[in-house]
Amino acid sequence: MQDPVLLAQTRRHFFSRTAKGIGTAALASLLERDAQASSGLPGLPHHTAKAKRVLFLHQSGGPSQIDLFDYKPQMTKHQGVDLPASIRMGQRITGMTSGQSTFPVASTVFKFAQHGQQGAWVSELLPHTAKVIDQLCVIKSMHTDAINHDPAITFIQSGSQQPGRPSMGAWVSYGLGSENDTLPAYVVLISQANAVNNDQPLFSRLWGNGFLPSSHQGVKFRSGGDPVLYLSDPPGVDKNTRRQMLDAVAKINQIKHESYADPEIETRIAQYEMAYRMQTSVPDLMDLSKEPESTFDLYGPQARKPGTYAANCLLARRLLERNVRFVQLYHRGWDQHGDLPRDLSLQCRGTDQPSAALVTDLKQRGLLDDTLIVWGGEFGRTVYCQGRLTDTNYGRDHHPRNFTMWLAGGGIKGGQVIGETDDFSYNITKDPVHVHDLQATILHCLGVDHKRLTYKYQGRHFRLTDVHGEVVNRILA
Amino acid sequence: MPLAAFLLTSTLFAAAPAKLNFNRDIRPILSDRCFTCHGPDEKARKAGLRLDTKEGAFARKGVIVAGDASASRLLKRVTAANAPLRMPPDGPPLTGAQIETLKQWVTSGATWDLHWSYVPPAKPPVPSVSAPTAIDKFVVDRLNKEGLKLSPEANKATLLRRLSYDVTGLPPTPDEIQAFLRDKSPTAYEKQVDRLLASPRFGERQAMQWLDLARYADTHGYHIDSHRDMWRWRDWVINSFNRNQPFNEFIVEQLAGDLLPKPTTQQILATGFQRNHMINFEGGAIPEEYQNEYVVDRVETAATVFMGMTMGCARCHDHKYDPISQKDFYRFGAFFNTIPEKGLDGTRGNAAPVLELPTDPQAERVKYLKDRTPVVEKELASAAVKEAYQNWQKTARLKPDPRQGLLAHYELDGSLTDSSGNYRHGVSLKDEFAYVASQSGDRAAELSGRSEVELAALPFPSANGPVKTISLWFQTRARTFKNGILFRTNAERQGWSIELDDPFAVPRMQQKARIVLRKVERWPDRVWEARFKEPVFVRTKSDVGMHLAFTADKVYLNGEAVEMEVVRHTLTQPFQEIEGPVTIGGRIEAERLRGRIDDIRFYDRELTPAELRILQEDTPLRENLALTKRAAEQETMLRDWYFRHAAPPEHQKLAAELVDLKRERDDLDWSIETVMVMKEAEKPRDTYLLARGDYRNQTEKLTPGVPSSMPPLPAGAPANRLTLAQWLTSPQHPLTARVAVNRFWQMYFGTGLVKTSEDFGSQGEAPSHPELLDWLATEYVTSGWDTKALQKQILLSATYRQASQSNAALRERDPENRLLARGPRFRLPAELVRDTMLAASGLLNAKVGGPSVLPYQPPGLWEELAFGAEFSAQTYQQSHGEDLYRRSMYTFWKRTMPPSTLSTFDAPDREKCVARRAVTNTPLQALALMNDTTYVEAARALAQRVMREAGPNPAKRVDRAFLLALARPPAPNEAKIVLELAQQKLADYRRSPELAAKLVAVGESKATGDNAELAAWTLAMSVVLNLDETITKE
Repeated sequence: MQDPVLLAQTRRHFFSRTAKGIGTAALASLLERDAQASSGLPGLPHHTAKAKRVLFLHQSGGPSQIDLFDYKPQMTKHQGVDLPASIRMGQRITGMTSGQSTFPVASTVFKFAQHGQQGAWVSELLPHTAKVIDQLCVIKSMHTDAINHDPAITFIQSGSQQPGRPSMGAWVSYGLGSENDTLPAYVVLISQANAVNNDQPLFSRLWGNGFLPSSHQGVKFRSGGDPVLYLSDPPGVDKNTRRQMLDAVAKINQIKHESYADPEIETRIAQYEMAYRMQTSVPDLMDLSKEPESTFDLYGPQARKPGTYAANCLLARRLLERNVRFVQLYHRGWDQHGDLPRDLSLQCRGTDQPSAALVTDLKQRGLLDDTLIVWGGEFGRTVYCQGRLTDTNYGRDHHPRNFTMWLAGGGIKGGQVIGETDDFSYNITKDPVHVHDLQATILHCLGVDHKRLTYKYQGRHFRLTDVHGEVVNRILA
Repeated sequence: MPLAAFLLTSTLFAAAPAKLNFNRDIRPILSDRCFTCHGPDEKARKAGLRLDTKEGAFARKGVIVAGDASASRLLKRVTAANAPLRMPPDGPPLTGAQIETLKQWVTSGATWDLHWSYVPPAKPPVPSVSAPTAIDKFVVDRLNKEGLKLSPEANKATLLRRLSYDVTGLPPTPDEIQAFLRDKSPTAYEKQVDRLLASPRFGERQAMQWLDLARYADTHGYHIDSHRDMWRWRDWVINSFNRNQPFNEFIVEQLAGDLLPKPTTQQILATGFQRNHMINFEGGAIPEEYQNEYVVDRVETAATVFMGMTMGCARCHDHKYDPISQKDFYRFGAFFNTIPEKGLDGTRGNAAPVLELPTDPQAERVKYLKDRTPVVEKELASAAVKEAYQNWQKTARLKPDPRQGLLAHYELDGSLTDSSGNYRHGVSLKDEFAYVASQSGDRAAELSGRSEVELAALPFPSANGPVKTISLWFQTRARTFKNGILFRTNAERQGWSIELDDPFAVPRMQQKARIVLRKVERWPDRVWEARFKEPVFVRTKSDVGMHLAFTADKVYLNGEAVEMEVVRHTLTQPFQEIEGPVTIGGRIEAERLRGRIDDIRFYDRELTPAELRILQEDTPLRENLALTKRAAEQETMLRDWYFRHAAPPEHQKLAAELVDLKRERDDLDWSIETVMVMKEAEKPRDTYLLARGDYRNQTEKLTPGVPSSMPPLPAGAPANRLTLAQWLTSPQHPLTARVAVNRFWQMYFGTGLVKTSEDFGSQGEAPSHPELLDWLATEYVTSGWDTKALQKQILLSATYRQASQSNAALRERDPENRLLARGPRFRLPAELVRDTMLAASGLLNAKVGGPSVLPYQPPGLWEELAFGAEFSAQTYQQSHGEDLYRRSMYTFWKRTMPPSTLSTFDAPDREKCVARRAVTNTPLQALALMNDTTYVEAARALAQRVMREAGPNPAKRVDRAFLLALARPPAPNEAKIVLELAQQKLADYRRSPELAAKLVAVGESKATGDNAELAAWTLAMSVVLNLDETITKE
C-alpha cells in the first residue's frame, strides 16, 4: 500500500509550484504521461487475471529434490550400487562427473513424513514448509534443457539458455506495467548462501531487459548502502535542499519545453518527481522498525538482519503489499556437489521458515488470493553420488531431467502434488512439466497468453516461451 | 509490435503519393503475417504456397490475379468472415488499412519487386530541386511532396555543440565557441568540421558505436565472468578511425587480418573483433556445446554488423522471412569454425589463440628460457639424479619438529584440541566448519566466513609476556574482505589482530594484499598498525597456503623475515592486552575468515629463523615421507623438498635453476600483454549442419560458403575468411555499404534511414529515403570507403544543420522526425552523459587508450553476485587519481554486472552484438545524476571552476557554467533561478557549516576555498548538470 498522504503531498506540492511555472495544458499532459508510464500494453491482460503479482523465490544452485520432496523409500536397497544403465539411458552428464568410473546410488540420509490432507511427503529439513503444504502445488516433474548453472538459470529466467532475451519480470513489466507509482514494477532481492561450500554466481542478465526497453529491467533493492542505487542524497544535502534543487531544475526544464515542444522534457520533469517520491517510499519500505514482534516470530529472528533470506522474504511481502508487480528473489548456495548433508541442512535452516512464513503471512493479509508464489531452483540433483560416498556423506551433481518446484497463491490449486518420477528420481514417469510450460502457466495466472505477449526484434516476434510451452491446467485452480 | 510498426509507417507515408511501392507497402504485410507458413522455411510451408518470391506467389493460378482483387484468393482468404477460413490463422486478422492496401496493389497490377536490400545499389540521380547539397536535394524533394520544408539553420552555438558531440563526443570549450562565433567567414562552419574530424577524439567517438557492435568487454561473460584483456584491440579500433583507414580495409583486417599476405602485428591484432564474444569455463560445462556457441555468435555478429542480416534466425530451421536456409547458416559458420580454440577456456584471462605482444627485452628472455629449459630438464632427468633421490628416500631424516617451549598447539587435524595439553581446547561457537585434506597428507580447518572459533586466552608475542612466537598456516578463499586471521579483541575493537587488508588491483586483475598487524587502545583514534611493505599474492593455488610467524618485533612469511611498515602509531601508552580468548577470524562477522587455517602454535621462546624454516618446510613433510604410496601432488611436494634441501649441491643448483626458469616463464606469461585473435588451426575442425541447432545433432558435413540467395564468392578463391571479407567489401555487395552508411546516419540523427539498423531483411523497416541511402552507399564505395569524407558530407548538409525546435503540429505529423523537417534532438548516449560532466567540470583526463579503469561505483555490486575465490574480476577494486576521470568508454566492462552509472543510461551489457540502443527516460537516471559520487563531485568541481574562472560575481559564474555545460549563456529567467538558489543555499550553509563540509568532501579530488560558498555553488551547479538540455544533443 503506497502512502496516500505522501503521494497527495508531493502532488499538491507539484501543483502549487507548477501553478506558476508550468502551463495548465503542459501540466495536464504531464500528469497523463505520469499515469501512462505505469500502464501496460493495450489489450492486456488477455483474460481475467487470477494473480496480480508474482513472487519468484529462486533457490540458486539447484536444490536436491531427492533430499527434500521426491521421497524414494526403496532407494536404500540400491545404496552404493551403480545406477542401472536402463535408468540412465545414456543421458548426458556434466563434465564434473563424466570422468567417474562408477555412479553409485546415494539415498537420502534425511527422514521423510507425510503432511497435509493429501499426505504429501516432505523431508525433515523443511518442517515449516510441511506445515503449509495444503496451500502448495508441488510439482515433482519439472524438467529443463540445460545441465549447467549459467545456461540453466538463464533458461528458467528468460526462456533461453543463451544470453540476450528479456527476463520473466521484464516481460511482465512490459506487458502489464505497474500498479504503483512510487516503486518500480520489477524488484530484485539477493541473499547469500548459508552453506559452507562455495556458491554459484548470479548475473545481472537474470533480471535484464534483453531487447526490451531498459526501463523494464529489474531494480535491485540492496541490503547494504543505498537500497536502490543512488537513492540517498549526498552528505550535506537535506530533504529541503533537495526539494529546492529539484524545483530549480524543473523550472528551467519548463522554460526549455516552452520553446522546444519536446515531450521528452515533460517526461524528464515527471521522472525527477518520481525519483523524489522514491526517496521517501523506498526507505519507508525498507524500514522494519514498525513491524510487530509477531512478524519476527513468523519469519524467524534472522528477518531482523538485513540481507538475509528471511529479511528479504519480509521485504518481499512489503513490496507485494505495495502492489509491486514482480518480485524476484535469489538465494544462493544450493549447489551441493559435496558435503550435501551438512550444506543442504544449513540452506534449509536459513530458508524454510521464511518461505513458509510468506505463504502464511500473505494468506492472513488476504494477499495470497491474487499473488502467485513460485519456489525452486534451475535444476535438480543426481541420484548418484559425486565424489566419495559414505554412510553419512555424499554429493550430488546437476540433474536436469526432473526436479521439484512448488507454487502457491493466485490461480493455483493448492494441496496437490503433480508428477511422478521413477524409483531413482532420475526420469519422469508421469505429467512432465517443462520450464517453458511453467513460464506459460505463470503468465496465464497473470492473465497473459504467453503466445501473444511478443516483441519484435531483429525481425522476429520473440516471446518468453520461445516457440514452446503449454499452460499446465492441472496446476490451476 | 507489428501493428504499431505498421501504423507508424502508414502515418509517415500517409501523405505520400498514391502510387504503391511493393517493398515499402506490400512486402511488410506479407512478411509479417504470411511468411511464417508461406515463406522461405520449406519444412514449415503450408499448402505448398510460397509468398516470399515472385515465382511462388504467381505459381498457382487464382492466388493473385493481377488487376482483379475480387478474383484473387489471397484477398478472399484474408477477408473471409468465417474464422477457420480466414488468414492468417494465428493472431488478429489484418487491419482494414492493410486489406485496402493489398486490394489496391492487386487492382493496380500486382507489380512485384525483389526485396530492395538484395539488389545492389545503383547511384540514383540527384533530384533537381533547389537545396544546398546533394543530400539536401533528396531530403527536400521528399519534403516538397509532403508540403513541408527544412527548418532554418540552428544558431551557431547550438550547431557547434551538436557537431562536437557527434564528431568527438564532448561539448565544445568556451574558447572554441568564442572562436566560432567570431569567425564570420563563409567557411567558418566547414573549418570547425575539419578541425573536429582531425581530433583524436573522433576515433573515440566512432569506436564507441563499434564496441557495442563488436560486443567488446573486459570479462568473459559466462558464469565466473573473470577478466580478459582486449583493450589493445579497442585501441586499434580508435586508431583505425583516427587515421581514416578505408572502411573496406577496416572490415577485411578485422575478419581476416591474419590471412593477409605477410600480416603485420596490427593486422593480426585487428582480428580480435571475432574473439570478443563471451567465453565459458563453468566447471562441468561441455566443451563442444560452448565451442559451438562461439561460432554461432560470430555468425550472428558478422551478419548483423556487416549485412544487417538476422542470420541467427536460421540456426534451428530455415529463416521464416528471409531467404537464408539452415544450411546457409552453418556454411557461413564454417568460415569461423577453423580456429584452434577450446570450448572451455579463459580461467587465466585471454583464451587461445592469442597474439603475444612482448616488449623487446621480454621477447629476448622468452627466447632464452625456451632454449635453456629443455637442457636443464634433461639433466635433471638423468639416471644419476634419479638414483640419488631414491637413495635419499630410504635414509632421509627430517629435522625434528621444534617442540621446546611449545605452550599451545592447535593442530586442526580433525579437532580443536590443544595437543600440548597446557591450555583449554578450542571451542566452535557458531557455524560448524570442515577439516579438509591438504597436499601434505595433513588436514586443515576450512572456515565458512561465519564460523566462530575460540582458542585459549593468550597474548601477542612481547618481550615481557609469556608468548614469544606465534606460528600458523593460512590460506584465504574470500571474495570479499572477510579476511581476519587471528584476533584477541573485544566488542570495542580493543586488542590485537592479524588480518589481511583489502585486496587491490595489480595488472590483470590478480589480487594481492598485505598482512596487517594491529594493536588498538581505543578505536579508531588510538591505534598502532603495521603492514607488509610489499603486497603478496594471497590466492595461492596450492593447498598449503602461506606460513606466517610472529615474534615480538618480527614477522616471517614462509620462513623469511618480511619488511614491515608502520602506518599508524597513535597509541598513548604501551599496548595492553585485553581479557578473553584468542579467536580465529575475529569477533564480528564482517571480519571472519573464509578460508583455511592450520597448525596454530604458541611458543614461550622466540624461534630462530632456522626453526621457523623447519616449521615451514620439514613439519608439513613428516606425514608425507611416511607414506608408502603417494598421490601425484604429494610426490611433487616431496621431490621439491628434496631438491631444495637434501640433494647433492650440483643437483640442488640444477633444480633451483629450473624453478627459476619456470617462474620467470610464468611471470612473463602474466606480464606479456596478449590479445585474443583469429588463427587457422593446423587441422581445422569439420562443420556440420546441426539439427534443431543442437551441438549433439551433427548431420550433413558442410564446407564454408555464403547464402545461396546472395552473390557468389569469387570463382577460384579459397573458401576462407579472407575471401569472405573481400566478398563483403566488393562494390557489388548489396548490403555492406548501405548498412555502414545507415549506422553513421543513425549516430547523427538518432534514427537511421532504415530505422531497423540491425535488420535490412523483409521484417526490417523499409528506408525512409531509399534513394538517399543508395546515393550515400555508392558515394562511400566510390570514394574508396573514405569514412571522414562521407561524414563530412553529412555534416555539411543543411539537413544536418537544421534547428531542432519543433511545434506541436510538426510533432504530431512526424513524431520520430523521419521526414527530417527539423534537426535531431535526443538524450546523449550513456558514455557521453558522464563525459559531459567530466568535461564541463574540468575533471576529464584526456588520455587516449590503455587498460580499462574502475571509476566510482557503489560498493558490493560485483561481490554480491560474484563467484569469488581465486578468480579475477570478482571484487571491485576502484581506481584512484587520474583514472577516476577517464572517458567513460574506458570503464572496465564486467558483463554480468556492467558499470552501473552507464547501464542506468541504457548502455548494453555487451553480451551480444547491439546495433541500436534504446533511449529511456527513468527516475533511476534522475537519482544517478543527483547522487552518484561521480556527478556530485563533478558539480563541486564545476563550482570550483566557475569560481576560479569567473571570479566573485555570481552572475558571471552562472554564465560561465552555462557556457561550459550548454555552450550558451543563460537566459535572464534561467540565471535568476540558479542565482536565487545559490544565494539561499549560501545563507543556509553558513548556518550549517557541518553540512557544507560534508557535501564538499564527496569525491577524491581536492576541494578548495570556503566550504559554505563551495557547497552552495555545488548545489547550484548540480542544477545545471541535471538539466534536460545538459544531457541532450539538440
